[in-house]
Amino acid sequence: MCFVSFRPASCVLATTALLLIASAPSQAQTRAETLRYVTGSTVNTLDPNIPGSTRESFALSMSTYDRLVAFGRKQLNGKWVFDLDTITGELAESYDVSPDGLKITFRLRKDAKFQDGSPVTAEDVKWSLDRCVTAPILGKAQLLTGSLTSADQFKVIDPLTIEVTLPKPDKLALPNLATVYPLIINSKLAKEHATADDPWATAWLKEHTAGSGAYVVETFKPGEQVILKRDESWNRSTANKPAFFKRVIVQSVPEPATRANLVERGDADLVVDLQASDVQSLEAKGKLKVVSTPQYNAITYVSMNNQMPPFDNVNVRRAIAYALPYDDMFKAALFGRGAPLFGASWPDGKPPNGIYPFQQPVKLDLDKAREYLKAAGLPEGFSTTFSFNVGQAATAEPMAALVKESLGKIGIKVDIQKLPDAQMSTQINEKKLPFYTEGIVAWLPSTDYFYRNFYTGNQRWNYSSINNPDLAAIAQEARFEPDKAKYEEAGRKLNAMHFDLMPQVMLWQPNQDAVMAASIEGYTYEFHRQVDYRDVSRK
Amino acid sequence: MVKTGLGATMVRAGRRLLSSLPALFGVLVFTFLLMRVLPGDPAVFFASGPNAGKEEIELIRKQMGLDKSVPEQLVFYLSDIGRGNLGRSMMTGQPVLKDLRERLPASLELTFTALLIALIAAVPLGVIAALRPGSAVDHGVRLFCALGVCVPTFVSGLLLIYVFYYLLGLAPDPTGRIDVFASVPPQRTGFLLIDFLLAGDFEGWWAACKQLILPAVSMALFVIAPLARITRASMLVSLGSDFVRTARSVGLSWHKVVVTYALRNAILPVITIAGIVFSTMLGANVLVEKVFSWPGVASYALDALLSSDYAPVQGFVLLMAGIFVLVNLIVDVCYGIADPRVSIE
Repeated sequence: MCFVSFRPASCVLATTALLLIASAPSQAQTRAETLRYVTGSTVNTLDPNIPGSTRESFALSMSTYDRLVAFGRKQLNGKWVFDLDTITGELAESYDVSPDGLKITFRLRKDAKFQDGSPVTAEDVKWSLDRCVTAPILGKAQLLTGSLTSADQFKVIDPLTIEVTLPKPDKLALPNLATVYPLIINSKLAKEHATADDPWATAWLKEHTAGSGAYVVETFKPGEQVILKRDESWNRSTANKPAFFKRVIVQSVPEPATRANLVERGDADLVVDLQASDVQSLEAKGKLKVVSTPQYNAITYVSMNNQMPPFDNVNVRRAIAYALPYDDMFKAALFGRGAPLFGASWPDGKPPNGIYPFQQPVKLDLDKAREYLKAAGLPEGFSTTFSFNVGQAATAEPMAALVKESLGKIGIKVDIQKLPDAQMSTQINEKKLPFYTEGIVAWLPSTDYFYRNFYTGNQRWNYSSINNPDLAAIAQEARFEPDKAKYEEAGRKLNAMHFDLMPQVMLWQPNQDAVMAASIEGYTYEFHRQVDYRDVSRK
Repeated sequence: MVKTGLGATMVRAGRRLLSSLPALFGVLVFTFLLMRVLPGDPAVFFASGPNAGKEEIELIRKQMGLDKSVPEQLVFYLSDIGRGNLGRSMMTGQPVLKDLRERLPASLELTFTALLIALIAAVPLGVIAALRPGSAVDHGVRLFCALGVCVPTFVSGLLLIYVFYYLLGLAPDPTGRIDVFASVPPQRTGFLLIDFLLAGDFEGWWAACKQLILPAVSMALFVIAPLARITRASMLVSLGSDFVRTARSVGLSWHKVVVTYALRNAILPVITIAGIVFSTMLGANVLVEKVFSWPGVASYALDALLSSDYAPVQGFVLLMAGIFVLVNLIVDVCYGIADPRVSIE
């Protein structure tokens, strides 16, 4: 910047002037360089590891922190979605997996710096990963799914190299390091704020960021808005450049109709949680860009408690599966915006592949449903309740009415029960609901992961409370199966069992409808189902 | 004379305040118990990451102090309150006291403005209606009031947004107290209109004012009816009374008769109703707050209630009870000023 002929004093002056220009008030930045993203959710913590953190907090942390690795992206039906099978380096310049799959070695980027200017070292990485598996935070349960459980597994080789050791070759170890939780923290800064009771500085990190991410938190008003400023030195994007937007405003707007107005008027740039009816009318007007991606790592179910009469009888469950008015429900709840998981045809009666979730060969067929009811010894039907939570009312309420009407035709009397969100999750956790609708999401969607987490064990996410040792054994074995063909075979077996046992009915994968100004580009559907602000740019 | 009047009012106010303390304590304990009786375990709700299992639930339970027995929790809670600690919200991750302190001015500013608009509209409407009972004007006022009450605040709010923001583009975007791109004045009172004035930033003041108009009007529409109706009824009584007849017969000016004699005597019930309306508005403006993304206390409490987040709900109820007591006090004092007979006892 300064030439030799300049005297030191003038050089200082010039530098000061430059600095002043650089730090001019943010109003100087044009609207085009700012992304205004509105959401119905809120950011409640700057560290997504804190129990109770919201989805929006997850998304925010993707931009304020770096991880060792990140997911790539791919085109799916012309839309960008995250790619589980491509793991690219983020803070890691490169990584190697040993031939036996037991050691992963990461070499860090030499130019990576934290937002306070200090370099990112292997010590920081080790401290951060140790924190993730040791501290009482959310990362622990997540990393467990990738066989990462103890601080002994992370070893510093030199200041820029770190080695991760696995007890078994686990396919999910590497993808796990790209999820939200194992973020890399400036350990020196964090340790300054650690206390004897809180050695991992969880309380401090909740309100402060100590990362190396693309954006610096400028203001954080929990429940209202977060304003982010671009870190000019960050270069971890695919093009080795800083993020596009100089400023990002993440604003909570609880009313969906207001969000729709804002984006239509051009005051907001991007929104992902509009009501399906608003999306449809905005799409029809054609002024805005609408990117609809089926949430291929999320599923909406109608679940039945397999341990509770009469749903402990497989024929009752089958009867329900043939008595649901799928098409009407799909239209009424989602306006058809999603990928259906019903109405397949299996000519040979076998699942065509081993991928979960899959389309089941079920459709509305009341005669068949009546036969199954007769086989279950309940030809006259029975009474039950159908529950959903208030937060889902927009989609679940019309659905529930249709379920009630249709089941009424085969003699099943349904009472609709609308529960506040906290009550619903409590009752699900305690396995007290006989019949209800709920959704799930998996960050690392692979067949064995779905079956292990959502169809085994006496735990909350096993909505149907199914307890089938064979199914659990196959899923557990598939987890460490290195042979692709064998894995596929296990998947087919599991899918066939799912259809046969019908523990719960898969309905659909709702669309993520991202509505944005026509100038916004690069939107990608991410595993955490929110927007990664680093993906988007303006034309 | 004035001194004794004022003194008596203060004594009365003090006595009122003391007698409300047991009620406040009752509210405190009752809310505490109610929250725990309600089905719904906050720990399960907040442990909803894609992998949160039993361990996370236990962790949150411990964090929230829910692993202890209810009587124990109550003792801890009361001693915390004694030290001015209202607990921590799981939802926002902040101490409840801080949340409330930040959000209460927003709610108060909105409610005050709405009440002011309502009073400015309702009192003249009521007076006009009372002056010509049974006339077309009276029916017009009645129709207007009926419409105001019939349309729920969120409908009128959404309608106002649709017309003034979406169609005409006159109003700023309905997202909170200030434009996201504008800078906030240094916080002194928390009331943006006052803070902007103190900072001498009139442009900012106007911007904040514009943000405030739509939500305040949609709230005011809803409460104009009770205020106007009560003004009308009490004006009718007042206008038909002997002193007004006397005033008229001695040929006092219209203004003197209606405003000085009739209205001043008729205003007492209006003040009572305004006090009640204010307290209910503060708690019940949740829909307006939601529609306009207004960062107030009511929407905060509703979100907390839905997610069984105990501390904010308890804090909110305590705050509301406190405000209720305070508003009643102020109404009492206003009584004394409007009608000196009240303070004599």
